[in-house]
Amino acid sequence: MNLANSNAAMDKEKYWNPILETLPGEELEKLQLKKFRRIFRWAYEHSGFYHKLYANAGIEPDDIKTMEDIGKVPKLEKTMMREVQAKTPYPYGDILCVPLEKVTEYHQTSGTTGQPVFQADCWQDWELSSEQWAYLLCAQGYRARDRVFLPFGYNVFIAFWSGHYAAEKLGCEVVPGGALNTEARILKMQELRCNAFMATPTYVLGMADTAVRKLGINPRDLHIEKITVAGEPGGSIPSTRRRMEEAWGANVFDHAGATEVGAWGYECQYKSGLHVNDAMFLVQIEDIETGEVITEPGRKGKMVVTSLDRIAQPCIRFDSKDIIEWSSEECECGRTFRLLNGGIYGRTDDITKVKGVLLAPGAIEEVVRSITGLGDEYEVVINKSRDISDIDDIILKVELLPGLEQVDSIKIKLADQLRLKTNLAYNLEFHNYGTLPRYDIKARRFKDLRHKE
Amino acid sequence: MIARSDIREMDNRIGAIKEAATDLQKISLGIQAIDRNVERILATVAMLEINISDVASMHREERFDS
Repeated sequence: MNLANSNAAMDKEKYWNPILETLPGEELEKLQLKKFRRIFRWAYEHSGFYHKLYANAGIEPDDIKTMEDIGKVPKLEKTMMREVQAKTPYPYGDILCVPLEKVTEYHQTSGTTGQPVFQADCWQDWELSSEQWAYLLCAQGYRARDRVFLPFGYNVFIAFWSGHYAAEKLGCEVVPGGALNTEARILKMQELRCNAFMATPTYVLGMADTAVRKLGINPRDLHIEKITVAGEPGGSIPSTRRRMEEAWGANVFDHAGATEVGAWGYECQYKSGLHVNDAMFLVQIEDIETGEVITEPGRKGKMVVTSLDRIAQPCIRFDSKDIIEWSSEECECGRTFRLLNGGIYGRTDDITKVKGVLLAPGAIEEVVRSITGLGDEYEVVINKSRDISDIDDIILKVELLPGLEQVDSIKIKLADQLRLKTNLAYNLEFHNYGTLPRYDIKARRFKDLRHKE
Repeated sequence: MIARSDIREMDNRIGAIKEAATDLQKISLGIQAIDRNVERILATVAMLEINISDVASMHREERFDS
């Protein structure tokens, strides 16, 4: 093979679909508009819920001619999906665009923010979901020679189901680690010399901890080269990523998606931020206060996202509440898919005012995991003081690793860093290692009890 | 850079696969083994359309507009 052919072959391996992934930005935008008009018309004509939503707003398919017109389309909130699904016909209400006999897959959201939303997919949507994952796994270097372990519960939560089928699509050998406990999963990974796996950041750290403490295995001695994380912001929180990469001696790649939306964003091997799959999603960032569409880099806002190809239960202008910002960088990978700075910073739901200061839980995680000597787990509890002052009280519980000598300096460093990064003072509680709750999927470490009593 | 003519050619072949699958369904006599497998073929064809044909049709519309 000559050099030109060899370069061409490498290029083909680098992209899942170079046609879409290197499409100039202007053409991607045209494609997004074309596809938005198509999915809008489809939903308007086939879903009772969407038809009513748009008819009440006085907007019809022919009204959308430009990208600016898309801003006139009402946003979809998770609460609206819950409401419609509480009505007949059970269990989806009238949101579906296909008859029930076309539905082949059921999943649901994790219910972190309330009653889970049910997600119906037809066979084409299920194919689409693994197709979207194929883009991200290819960008993260998954190839046919990989043996990929899937240590998750294979149940009603979407989790890494599509990661499983996408890895198959790429030709990887997929090992399903469903009904095994953590120890058995680690031993199976070791036995089969798996070189990649997918999990939430919480579970990636938890598995490393179990390997060391319960099995006496250093995770770095396994053969893991790459780990894809999803479900929590940790993959894009530098100190959490560092801990995962150091524990496993592997590359950790972040991925962002949601049950209702699909796999909309991913890091490539250059790790310069999250790429948005602009060919399959329309991601817009809106100012949290004014709703103005933000196009310039470096300004945070909330994500409004449309899944451009999902047909059974479409997701159009979904107010995801995720806080993101555009990057000004171009990625060296050559993809024209736009980049986000850092990943998902948090959710507008989670950002809360404490003692008059805006607090994002991710900032606390960044501090805790940047301090050597503290364990990976932590818990934040916000409550009103019991005394007459009635002011907000933040308790941060952390774990000290066993055998530490410099405990006082760690305590001082933690308090200082928290004050510096969050402008708040905390009541710090130091617990013995292994005493705070552990989680297998999504962790619930942030508890705001102020309005619950 | 992949030439537009190559994309167009791929799109033509995708269209032919879709037509052949749909034709097979029309003469299936309602045999589930045919109908259900054709459904799956068509879902896969839809992925090819998303990957290739949508771009090809955008190029066609551009030609038509200009």
